[in-house]
Amino acid sequence: MQAWIEWARGPVFIFSFSFMVLGLARHVALTVWEAGRTMRRAGDRSLPLVAIGRATLKWLFPAGAIARNALFSSTSVLFHAAILVVPIFLAGHIALWTRAFGIGWPAIPNGVADVLTLLAIVTAVALAVQRLTARATRAISRPSDHLVLLAVALPFATGFLTMHPALNPFSFESTMLLHVMSGNLVLVLMPLTKLSHAVLLPGTQLISKVGWHWPLDSGSRVGAALGKEAERV
Amino acid sequence: MTDPKAKFGYYVEKRTLEATDRPRRFLEAFAAVLEHSSYHLPLDVYSRAGARCGQCAADCQLYQSTGEDRDIPCHRSELLMRIYRRYFTPAGALAARLGDGFVLTDEYLDGMGEAYYRCTACRRCKLTCPLGIDHGLITHLARWLLAEIDVVPKALVVATREQLEGVGNTSAIPVPALKDTCEFLEEELQENFNVEVKFPIDVEGAEYVFFPAVSDYLLEPDTLMGNAAVMHVTGGSWTIGTGNYDGINYGLFYSDRMMERIVKNEVAEVRRLKGRKILIGECGHATRSAWFVPTFCGPDAPEVVNFMQYTAKALREGRLPLKRDKIAERVTYHDPCNIARAGRITEEPREILRAICSDFVEMTPNRTENYCCGGGGGTVSVDEIRAFRTGPMGRRKAEQIRATGATYLVAPCANCKKQLREICEDNGLDQVQVVGLHDLVLKVLDFGAASGEARDGGPAADEVSRLAKADARQSAEHVRRCTEGGEAPRWLGATTENTAGI
Ligand code: SF4
Ligand code: SF4
Ligand code: SF4
Repeated sequence: MQAWIEWARGPVFIFSFSFMVLGLARHVALTVWEAGRTMRRAGDRSLPLVAIGRATLKWLFPAGAIARNALFSSTSVLFHAAILVVPIFLAGHIALWTRAFGIGWPAIPNGVADVLTLLAIVTAVALAVQRLTARATRAISRPSDHLVLLAVALPFATGFLTMHPALNPFSFESTMLLHVMSGNLVLVLMPLTKLSHAVLLPGTQLISKVGWHWPLDSGSRVGAALGKEAERV
Repeated sequence: MTDPKAKFGYYVEKRTLEATDRPRRFLEAFAAVLEHSSYHLPLDVYSRAGARCGQCAADCQLYQSTGEDRDIPCHRSELLMRIYRRYFTPAGALAARLGDGFVLTDEYLDGMGEAYYRCTACRRCKLTCPLGIDHGLITHLARWLLAEIDVVPKALVVATREQLEGVGNTSAIPVPALKDTCEFLEEELQENFNVEVKFPIDVEGAEYVFFPAVSDYLLEPDTLMGNAAVMHVTGGSWTIGTGNYDGINYGLFYSDRMMERIVKNEVAEVRRLKGRKILIGECGHATRSAWFVPTFCGPDAPEVVNFMQYTAKALREGRLPLKRDKIAERVTYHDPCNIARAGRITEEPREILRAICSDFVEMTPNRTENYCCGGGGGTVSVDEIRAFRTGPMGRRKAEQIRATGATYLVAPCANCKKQLREICEDNGLDQVQVVGLHDLVLKVLDFGAASGEARDGGPAADEVSRLAKADARQSAEHVRRCTEGGEAPRWLGATTENTAGI
């Protein structure tokens, strides 16, 4: 079992992590390139950058949104904060980096990590309940939306159990293996699913504006491509 | 197969019914648009990152009142994104091979036609989307693609045809009738205010070339008189061009191809008259579509100014003489989404209203967050769906208006005005008068000593405007009789058909 865990922590992790980094980098590169191309072709190259920046900041730190839909927004914000902080700043995770590459950074105290992990689990459950019960959300949910949430919650649930063996009804090793592998799964899913919003979100407000910036003569070019130049209205 | 005629009679023109092969033609149009325009970027990013959180639903006035799945913004946008992913991304092609059975069919396209004309493209839902997904953009694109297979409201096509290939404007008003109307409005100003206000026609080298919603010449004499009066007191250099005097651009609602042609015609008229700027009258979508001038004509194209911006500037600079007595009735203001949603014109009208009204109240919410009138995206032109527009689509607006208790509802937009009047009629808001901003400005403009006794001794302002409206209708009738031969009945015929659509 220990060998399996080492395998999951070693080669599988390296693969998953590189896959995530490269995949997300590809998303960013494609988007940046395409946005640049759009603006280079655009007839109107002015962009309301201040408004875009403001909207982007608003949604990166969505304090204002909480006033609009308090229950959902605060749940979502806490969930995102917890799942971002714990994996990166948990002492045990940093130790792995130090062991492998000799790099490290300050950790959060384990007590705080515990609280945040529980928070992640509770908010994930709340989001799942919201997804299943709120009418509009349920109506537009794909199977993957439920599964991705489950996949993200799993490393936190198993991670909590590994940290608290006294509460763990299963064997430490199997829990740890599941923890590492589910963590790896999330890394792989990052570029493949909507989780890519982790890197795309900072750009979406800009994209929504850039999308209205069409090339010079784009209407007539489409007309020409469709052979409709001479067609009457 | 569903019978499109029975279901969607109002927006499918005859020739569609015989057309076959619509899915293929739709995909061809989609491919051409992806190639030659910029929609690929948002489609791609939205379909990668869209979180399906459902928050956007809460902001749409339609979903708020129907609660139907099909009215969830993200649900509607998915109709198009699904086609995009399936036919234009490798992942979609792969998924199709692996058994995702989605195939674009005729029925699916009919469903889209219905769905995308239930959305007014007001873009309110963008405000609550954490990702800023712009469903207005998706609706805009979907409608264009649908129009390429002739699924488009008849009212929009008929008006656009008249504008681009007929008389030259959406209301089919011929030039002699335009001139007559302007003369009549000049007389009207003379009679009621004792001032000689001009509607300058075809003046070369003017700073501003004026493009109101052309329907204003038929339906909103007060707004136009207010516009001209402001120009008069501020000494503005402006002109109306007989080559093109219509700011309406239904291309914004259904086709970038048409939008480009209409925008370019405006620029051509400004160039012909050696004017410097495009001055748009009180019309939301005319303004927003004119903001696309640089998009279609490049950065050297003339600047675009909305009339309210002009008037507010004059007010700020102290060049707008106002009477001491302000308008006493309660006034509220409707923000047309096309100018307010992105925050481009929200403060100018308020500055003006605060200066001329003593009891100005806001609707809540307002400015960028205001609810659409419910007739946006050209749907106000479709008379067949009035019950939908003033019912589920307009209910929120009606509540907003009622809560203000206002007598005057100012809506600086030809589309909004028509829709709001219908909302008031259908929702028991009989005490509310829907007016333009310059209608009110006209009431309190101080023409100075020159205007003589009309200021004090003349009929009360309300009486004036009532008379003016009645007279304008008479004059339209008169104009019709005076214009030569075959043209006149055509104008009238087209008018009854088209002004419905303004
Ligand atoms: S654009 Fe307006 S009408 Fe359309 S879905 Fe969004 S809020 Fe509703
Ligand atoms: S709010 Fe945005 S991310 Fe959420 S469902 Fe609507 S469009 Fe999708
Ligand atoms: S008609 Fe007026 S309120 Fe309605 S969408 Fe257009 S601008 Fe908005």
